[in-house]
Amino acid sequence: MSALLQVSGLEVAYGPVRAVRGVDLEVHQGEIRAILGANGAGKSSIIRAIMGLVKPRGGTVAFGGQALHKLLPHKVNEWGIAWVPEGRQVFSTLTVEENLLMGAFARRHDQATDARQQQVMDMFPTLRERRTQLAGSLSGGEQQMLAIGRALMSNPRLLLMDEPSLGLAPKVVRSLFDLAQEIRARGISILMAEQNARQALRVADYAYLLEVGEIRGGGSATEMEASETIRRVYLGG
Amino acid sequence: MEQFVQQLVNGIMAGSTYAVVALGFGLVFSVMRVVNLAHPEIFMIGAYVAFVVITGLHVPDAGLDVLAALAVFLGVLLVAMLTTGAAGLVLERLVIRPTRGTYILTPFIATAGVSIALQNSAQRLFGPDPVRVPSVIPAYTFTLGGVRVSSMQLATFLTAVAIMLALRYYVHSTRWGRATRAVAEKPDVAAACGVNVNLVSQLTVGIASIMAGAAGVALGLLYTSAAPFMGLLYGLKSFICMLVAGNRHIEAIMAVGLLLGVVEAMVTGYISSNLRDAVAFALLLAVLFFRPQGLFGSYEV
Repeated sequence: MSALLQVSGLEVAYGPVRAVRGVDLEVHQGEIRAILGANGAGKSSIIRAIMGLVKPRGGTVAFGGQALHKLLPHKVNEWGIAWVPEGRQVFSTLTVEENLLMGAFARRHDQATDARQQQVMDMFPTLRERRTQLAGSLSGGEQQMLAIGRALMSNPRLLLMDEPSLGLAPKVVRSLFDLAQEIRARGISILMAEQNARQALRVADYAYLLEVGEIRGGGSATEMEASETIRRVYLGG
Repeated sequence: MEQFVQQLVNGIMAGSTYAVVALGFGLVFSVMRVVNLAHPEIFMIGAYVAFVVITGLHVPDAGLDVLAALAVFLGVLLVAMLTTGAAGLVLERLVIRPTRGTYILTPFIATAGVSIALQNSAQRLFGPDPVRVPSVIPAYTFTLGGVRVSSMQLATFLTAVAIMLALRYYVHSTRWGRATRAVAEKPDVAAACGVNVNLVSQLTVGIASIMAGAAGVALGLLYTSAAPFMGLLYGLKSFICMLVAGNRHIEAIMAVGLLLGVVEAMVTGYISSNLRDAVAFALLLAVLFFRPQGLFGSYEV
């Protein structure tokens, strides 16, 4: 089966610093895949390169057979990829509803947009209550819901989640990963970058281990949980 | 008291154009983090368009009836806005877009170069001395309770108010206005949401330039003159207005522009017109000394 997302030989560099070195990875339709790694391993750089926010120095990104690595981010979005940035990054000076509408910016505003907005608000009832509030006034957990809701508004085929658990309370983190499974059940594939290996492996089908910009291993969640390195470094046992 | 109200009115009328030019600076800076130093020269182009069109029409001095005058005024405004809008698009494509997102001083210096080139082109084309812009609006003075407002003051003010209301509507109530606010806050996230940031950049500089062009026409007619370096002092004051207000809220920039006009009118009326600029600058700098981020907050560079 050919992959939905196929990243081959990806190289990202900031000046002389090579942040991502020849990374190959793929995500199949209906899968949750995780990139595990420490701070500065290059997880965000991979995500940003797929989204078109940094120009890769080398390698290719193909999505459903379409080459994306030369496109600007708004074109990548049009092909069906949405981004939940690290640290939420909601538009704090826009209202909750305006944030959601921004998520659907590239889509023609029609009944489907309205229906999707209702779906998102059903998923996160607090967003409906706070519809007219400025997004900057929401709590961290609520902002994460809004960031996810905003990404879903474009009706993506693939969701890129960058450190979704960062800075959230443990209880919120748990429900967040449950939510990832719920999103997958709606037919949306997910690629997430995470430091929280335990939670990520609980929901992911497959995980890659990224160290200093290189993929150092990969396997199904059960294989990874059993792996010596992962246990020692990331699961604290 | 009557003199106070009179100066207040004069100040608001004149300040409205500061507000419009300052809004252009603020809009471009907040959306693209670019200080567009060519902005005052776009304003200057607006005044010269008024000069060229009205001179070309051979309008007799104050010899038009009200309707014809209004038609000519609106026509001149339209031509100037189209011209400066086009100039803004060229400026964006050739100078701002290639330098945006690099070091903050790069677009600063690049647009400064454009500004100098435009000043000297105007000098070359129209001569170094101010040219006389024939007034098209019949001179008429309205009097209300002892306070007098000239027809041209009123036309300037109404033009500025219309522009500010239009901008406010665009930014707060349209789809592209929403995208513009999103780009101002987080360009990467907006782009990932499907916003073509280059298009927003183009729209923003275009709109700012159209506004500056309209302000140039209004001011050219109000003072019946256009000059190659008229943008310098005007631009500097508007720029400082934007800094004082902070670039987060367009309403704040409007208010500070009007306030500067009032301060200047008060100094002219009660102290001396010689001290007008000195007092205005001192006051603006004093505010910046205590609140470097502006009165109502600014986006970080």
